[in-house]
Amino acid sequence: MLFASAGSATAIGSTSGGDAASISVSEGGETPSGAGIFRWLYEHVLPHKMASVGPLDFYNITMFQIIAIVLILVVFLHVRFALESGPEYKMGWIARVFSGFAMFIRDEMVIPLLGEEEGKKFLPYFLYLFFFIAFMNLLGLVPHGATATACVFVTGAMALVTLVMMIGGGMLEQGAAAFWKNLIPHGMPGWLVPVLFLVELIGLLVKPFALMIRLFANMLAGHLVVLSFMGLIFFFAEKIGRLAYAIAVPSVGLAIFIMIIEAFVALLQAYIFTYLSILFVGMCRHPEH
Amino acid sequence: MLSTLLTLLAQAGTAGTSFMGLGAGIGAGLAVIGAGIGIGGIGKAAGEGIARQPEASEDIRGNALILSALIEGVTLFAIVVALLLSLGAADFYVPK
Repeated sequence: MLFASAGSATAIGSTSGGDAASISVSEGGETPSGAGIFRWLYEHVLPHKMASVGPLDFYNITMFQIIAIVLILVVFLHVRFALESGPEYKMGWIARVFSGFAMFIRDEMVIPLLGEEEGKKFLPYFLYLFFFIAFMNLLGLVPHGATATACVFVTGAMALVTLVMMIGGGMLEQGAAAFWKNLIPHGMPGWLVPVLFLVELIGLLVKPFALMIRLFANMLAGHLVVLSFMGLIFFFAEKIGRLAYAIAVPSVGLAIFIMIIEAFVALLQAYIFTYLSILFVGMCRHPEH
Repeated sequence: MLSTLLTLLAQAGTAGTSFMGLGAGIGAGLAVIGAGIGIGGIGKAAGEGIARQPEASEDIRGNALILSALIEGVTLFAIVVALLLSLGAADFYVPK
């Protein structure tokens, strides 16, 4: 049994010729058989469709990022119009919901952690962060939608921007050299300082890295679980025969349940990313020690 | 049992088969154990807190959710590694 699993792992995991381009399974476009179905399904969530527009590359997730930005623009222009229309204007549900979210971010996340005047300075960036991530995550749940945050480079770019805000904000607030000196707690013996500086530097870099991995893995894992449940239907249909299509009932039920959880996780991960970004920027600008 | 395991690994090494899929599965299972223990601990503390003071249930629930998401982040790091293994990313590594 172990040899059989190792054999199938050879068929799926490693390549026959040892070449490096082995991640994509379906070259011809038809459904592969056996456990290759799962890899063929997983390809669906990987970024693809490279259409070059001039020197820039245009992936399918680029399209969804642009859609997310356009949606944010449309929604929040309406929110601004609704808020500026005075108290006699009856706000629809869009204006109420999104102004409620924005006020939650301002009153419960940014101002308590950063203070009044600094919070107001950084508020636009954290509003953008929360709504961009939330819209991108939720756009992945609609039919034919791709989750742009399920690509590690998209979340890596947002974590990189947070890192730049951490280091740049800290250096602007405390002075360029004082920021790096204040990484180390005061009053350490001399021989400990280089080790501690290295440890604190790694800690500084690991925090946005963890942000990136957390968001990426949460979004990707949700989609992979749903696709795995759907792939089970076709996998068993090949092995057992047409009777195995009856497995579609619990499979689709579980997939729907997972997608409900995914919708919640989408908003939760946007909240966690934004909250931790606020925390890190605040910690870099005003270190406790 | 250890001797059979070692002979198995030796035969796999000489035959050139890869245990990447097996490693991915074991890794993913262990990661889920860690997440279960961690989030279970949070759930236990949250349940006790709500039982002692039902007025604070909103705050406790919010905090417990956020802490669970942080633990999930670490778990999914291991899941990503398992995924990379199971999809054959180790083939990109060419030993000298």
